[in-house]
Amino acid sequence: MPNVLRADGITVKFGGVTAVNNVSLSLGSGEILGLIGPNGAGKTTLFNALTGFAPMHSGRITLLDRDITALPAFKRTRLGFGRTFQTERPFEELTVLENVLIAAFLTVVRRSEAEHLAMSVLEQVGLADRAHQPALDLNLARRRRLELAKALAVKPKVIFLDEIMAGLNPPALREMITFVRSLSAQGLAVLMVEHIMEAIIELSDHVIVLASGEKIAEGTPQQVTSNERVIEAYLGTD
Amino acid sequence: MTKHLIGLGVLLAVGMTYPAIFPNNLTIAISVLLFAGWATSWDLLGGWNGQVSLGHASFVGLGAYFVAIGQSQFGLAPWWTMAMAAAFAAILAYFWGWLTFSLRGPYFSLSTIAVAEILRLVAINEEWLSGGATGVFIATLPEPFGIDLFSRTAQFYMALAFAAVVIATVIVISRARFGYQLRAVREDEDSAMAAGIDPTATKLKAFMLSAALTSIGGGIYGVVLAFIEPHVIFALLLSVQIALTAIIGGRGTIWGPAVGALVLIGAGEMFRTTFAEANMLIYGILILVVVLFVPRGIVGELARRHIRRLYAKRAQG
Amino acid sequence: MASLDIFLQNIANGVLIGGVYALIGIGLTLVFGVMRTINFAHGDFVVLGMYSAVLFNALLGWDPYLSLLLAMPIGFFAGVIVERFILSRVIDAPPESALLATLGISLIIGNAILLTFGGEPRSVQVSYASSTFSIAGVNVSMVLLLAGIATVIMIAALYVLLNRTEVGRAIRGTAENRLGAELVGIDTRRIHSIVFGLGVMLAVMAGVTLIPLLFATPTNTGAVFTLKAFVVTVLGGLGNVGAAIAGGILLGVVEVLGASYFMSEYREAYGLIAFLLILLFRPEGLFGRTVKRV
Repeated sequence: MPNVLRADGITVKFGGVTAVNNVSLSLGSGEILGLIGPNGAGKTTLFNALTGFAPMHSGRITLLDRDITALPAFKRTRLGFGRTFQTERPFEELTVLENVLIAAFLTVVRRSEAEHLAMSVLEQVGLADRAHQPALDLNLARRRRLELAKALAVKPKVIFLDEIMAGLNPPALREMITFVRSLSAQGLAVLMVEHIMEAIIELSDHVIVLASGEKIAEGTPQQVTSNERVIEAYLGTD
Repeated sequence: MTKHLIGLGVLLAVGMTYPAIFPNNLTIAISVLLFAGWATSWDLLGGWNGQVSLGHASFVGLGAYFVAIGQSQFGLAPWWTMAMAAAFAAILAYFWGWLTFSLRGPYFSLSTIAVAEILRLVAINEEWLSGGATGVFIATLPEPFGIDLFSRTAQFYMALAFAAVVIATVIVISRARFGYQLRAVREDEDSAMAAGIDPTATKLKAFMLSAALTSIGGGIYGVVLAFIEPHVIFALLLSVQIALTAIIGGRGTIWGPAVGALVLIGAGEMFRTTFAEANMLIYGILILVVVLFVPRGIVGELARRHIRRLYAKRAQG
Repeated sequence: MASLDIFLQNIANGVLIGGVYALIGIGLTLVFGVMRTINFAHGDFVVLGMYSAVLFNALLGWDPYLSLLLAMPIGFFAGVIVERFILSRVIDAPPESALLATLGISLIIGNAILLTFGGEPRSVQVSYASSTFSIAGVNVSMVLLLAGIATVIMIAALYVLLNRTEVGRAIRGTAENRLGAELVGIDTRRIHSIVFGLGVMLAVMAGVTLIPLLFATPTNTGAVFTLKAFVVTVLGGLGNVGAAIAGGILLGVVEVLGASYFMSEYREAYGLIAFLLILLFRPEGLFGRTVKRV
């Protein structure tokens, strides 16, 4: 499988503290990569470094063999990154449709076409009936879907999902898992940071485990969950 | 959108007939229209894009000076100098923004005051450029199609055209891609970047457009005043007045700044005898009222109530 | 030799004027440090102090320094009232709301003075207005020296208040971490009122000490002082009292030296340019600790 995303030797430092140390990963289209680790392991920092929201100390990132290491976040989005935020950030003053419209405007300039694209994404995530509500009025599960819709409306090649399962009730969780699988079935490369092991085990083709900023294990979900270092990291430090 | 265009049509229709009905109240109407245009231009940056500038008098001054100096020194007609002023204002805004947009919130506002004050000092002190502290006088103006530009009626129509063009611009932008980029950056820069929007470029565009439009109004103001003094036209107070007009009327709304201009100039006129020169007192009191009780401004609050009512109706039905 | 004399003279004037700037800046920076509010009305409170001296002089024939005894407590309570009824209600709203509220207060003060006293410049004539004495060939203006002494006393008093008293500890705690202060039982609302009162009191005091030297006008002077206070605090680092003193003196010296060696018309601009440069390249101020950019 050809690599869509490749990251080599990613290191992030805050002041004197190394938050992520020399982590590499690669991801092909249609593949789901799970990123797990105890709290404070550097998952979100790595995530932000990959998407351009945190400055990197060293390392190299390529998207479809193009070096994007030096590009700011918005340029990475233009080249094919989509991301959600851990704390959902809808534009609260705007309607659900307008929220997605902003992202849809990345690839189309005409409003009617952008609205069309936004509506089709909203249908995909099951929010079409709420298109004209203010985003402020959505509940948690729907806000998550709105986040997803915003990330999908930029027509990404790689989608970064930052704990989109957290706090969902069981039926909503099932729906979300099914939905993420459908994304990979469409050929999207998915990188997810997640605490919900059920989702990681069920969805991931490949899992990377971080602890204290280091990659301590990687492999299939079965391989990493039986890895002693992983068990130790989870039980020992947290 | 059609609703707003109809509103604009009504404004123009009323405006066209106004000089015939109130031939003696043209000066105040010109004030209202100029402030409506300036505040609406300010709002592109301050309301729609969330960057509160307290330096917009610089662009008013720029427009007025271009027109006055162009006419008195080089015999250039105001329409040429207004176009030049708009271009120059956009260039100035580009460098100004490039310098200050790394600062957020109150720090950006503070830096705009500093830049505007420096420009004012330049206008006062560089006599070769601006005529210095004594100012510039417009003695003659061309007469296109035999229209006397010194007449209040002609000036009224210029101001009306200016306000209408600025409001029309905002109506179009509010529905377009650029309008959504502006709002996205205002609401949350990280989220905007995740949608592929370059926050700095968006702010620069908004600032440049806002500056260019403001300077065109400044050019008309120059014609209206016919005598331009740097301490009047570059005053911090004028910058504050423009910003407060938009904020009291309702930031980030199409009609808010225009309504703000009508209310504030109207109130200033009503209390003219009571307060005399102290008419900025009204701005002070009203901005306190807005901050404490109506944070969205007059039109913003009305719009919110309207939407709530629609909801309530829909929920019942 | 003569040029050295002039240089020393300039430095002395710069330092003394800078002392008053420092006094104005401390009030602003104290309020910012504790309340995270940029007070646009600060300069207008300075002007209010000037006019209070004018009023006491006109009605009772008092010397400005005598009127300090009344003007300072009145200023303090005025500040407390403004904080209670206006600022405390917007403190948790977006930062712009507080800024706009103080802008409103600024316009109200300036224009209320204009309505009361009229627009013509006012001052208080004192017998020692033009007296100077020389130390080692450097002439020092009596008025500036008195202002300098008042500044030193005030700063010392403030130091004691902040570092040696219970209230001071609470103020510093609130500035450090408002939530943390509340958790240990500090009434931060009360602290905010006190701090704003202190800020206004310092502004009023600066105004009174300046009135023998400067003419006051209702609206323009306020804006000038507000800008100077911003410059001082940003030079020193917003929210840092000690640095505001250094910032004030630096501004005084920069202005005087810039005006005497380069172009005097741009006296005001030197401070503003320094202000912009620091805002852009070192927003924590020249002497401030590194702070998170807002």
